[in-house]
Amino acid sequence: MAFEIGIMTFGEVTQDPVTGRLPSPRQRVRETIEQAKVADEAGLDVFGVGEHHRTDFIGSAPTILLAAAAEATEHIRLTSSVTVLSSEDPVRVWEQFATIDLLSHGRAEIIAGRGSYTESFPLFGYDLRDYSDLFREKLDLLLKIRERNPLTWSGRFRAPLVDADIAPRADGETIPIWVGVGGSTASAISTGRLGLPMAMALLLGPLTFHEQTIELYRASAEQAGHDARALPVSINTHGYVGRTSRQARDAMYPYFAKGMAENNHQRGRGIELPRAVFDAQASPGAGLLVGSPQEIIDKLLAYHELYGINRAIIQMGFGGMPQKEHLEAIERLGTEVAPVVRQEITARQEVAA
Amino acid sequence: MTVTNPPVVDAGPGIPTAGAVLRVVVVNGSPSRRSKTLGLADAVLDTLGKMLPIDVSRVDVYRLGPGFTAATERDDVTPDVEAMLRLAEDADLLIAAAPVYRGSYPGMFKHFFDLVDQYALANTLVLLAATGGGEHHALVLEHAMRPLFAFFQALTVPVAIFASSGDFDGVTLLNPRVHGRIEMALADVLDLLKSRATGTRATADS
Repeated sequence: MAFEIGIMTFGEVTQDPVTGRLPSPRQRVRETIEQAKVADEAGLDVFGVGEHHRTDFIGSAPTILLAAAAEATEHIRLTSSVTVLSSEDPVRVWEQFATIDLLSHGRAEIIAGRGSYTESFPLFGYDLRDYSDLFREKLDLLLKIRERNPLTWSGRFRAPLVDADIAPRADGETIPIWVGVGGSTASAISTGRLGLPMAMALLLGPLTFHEQTIELYRASAEQAGHDARALPVSINTHGYVGRTSRQARDAMYPYFAKGMAENNHQRGRGIELPRAVFDAQASPGAGLLVGSPQEIIDKLLAYHELYGINRAIIQMGFGGMPQKEHLEAIERLGTEVAPVVRQEITARQEVAA
Repeated sequence: MTVTNPPVVDAGPGIPTAGAVLRVVVVNGSPSRRSKTLGLADAVLDTLGKMLPIDVSRVDVYRLGPGFTAATERDDVTPDVEAMLRLAEDADLLIAAAPVYRGSYPGMFKHFFDLVDQYALANTLVLLAATGGGEHHALVLEHAMRPLFAFFQALTVPVAIFASSGDFDGVTLLNPRVHGRIEMALADVLDLLKSRATGTRATADS
């Protein structure tokens, strides 16, 4: 399996903590497409847009942004990071991604998740009490739609499908479907049992934090009769590739701290992330992918060694990173980090084989 | 649920075992109809049922109604609630299962045991099980539940079982480490039952 490196965004609309400026949604949609274009030109493998239903993100309809990105790019894979499948109609999800697949000559991909943000549930009339059942059923339907057409299917949460013709079909053979997992052991186990690729969302903490989750995922896959070694695992994590170690930390810190304060509430208030805590997260033993190109290379290789991952998707714009700095980091990731990591991992795999 | 496997416990000659079935009573402290707490209790019962012939009853304390909630003393309860209390008091193995609510077991769970006779559970085997939003709740077993049964002079099983939300898909327990913990707890239960069935006691039963 070739190692893939990509970027993802939530389309943040955040007041700049340094200049005090609030970007307009119009500016941010254009910037999002520009990020995809620069990532594509820099040779990155994946571009992802997350789904959030709030004024401070432009990603409530990620498929539309991905369709626009399809027109602006040539090679990069276009994914959702993630599609909140629990509050979606899988038929519509398939139709939209199949359309993106046709527009992009087979570059569409779905990362289906339960949703760590829950705004979409009341918006689309779903009950949070059905959180687990909704995801299980909708994932089942989505996989069946991918598998065959026409389809007869019935479940609890939508009208049955009788010999339903669901079109268009994928551009190529299929559309990859991953499952986004936030680190809960049960999600990892269910994903392993289904034999689906797992995209693990990491936030903060030690590099080794999710060893157990990945172990359980692979063990469950094996138990269910899947070849665990053939199943791709991805980490989706925050980071920033700077010119130097110091410049990367200085550039990322104010925005990441702002993003954390606005998205990680306790008692209704955001938590101020102290610089010292941030710096600790950037150390070699911690998971945050921030640093010079060489530091990012080292850490990605450490992740690969530890978890046997096949893909890393980095979110570099959390907290409203200004576009100029964001694009520079995408460029560095694509041209300075990715080629070295791919080459090194290929070399290691050849030695192992 | 009655499981009719041959008994694993060999009581030896002279001790009657024919038809011996372990009366297991789950006291379920969850207010929800479908709950992780019941999911955990079911995982325990499935494992136990494979080891021994068991007869399972369940008391859902949040479903006992006003005949229970309005009672402040044992004499106040309605006959159906009285039957439920007797059931728990006569168990061979009591499984006390509760979710963490406001840092402890829920109020109705305590209310049930407030109505249980002070000495009815003396030396009764009690297995403790709890569920919570995260691992930081795990010590509810030791700091809230075990002292409650210490009051009753019950024999709590040394290994108590905790599971977090993240261990479940809906209400189905998935984490094999929790299943391992269940196996360990029940192995101890089996040992205790075996020594009760075959061993000599320090003081004779009257």
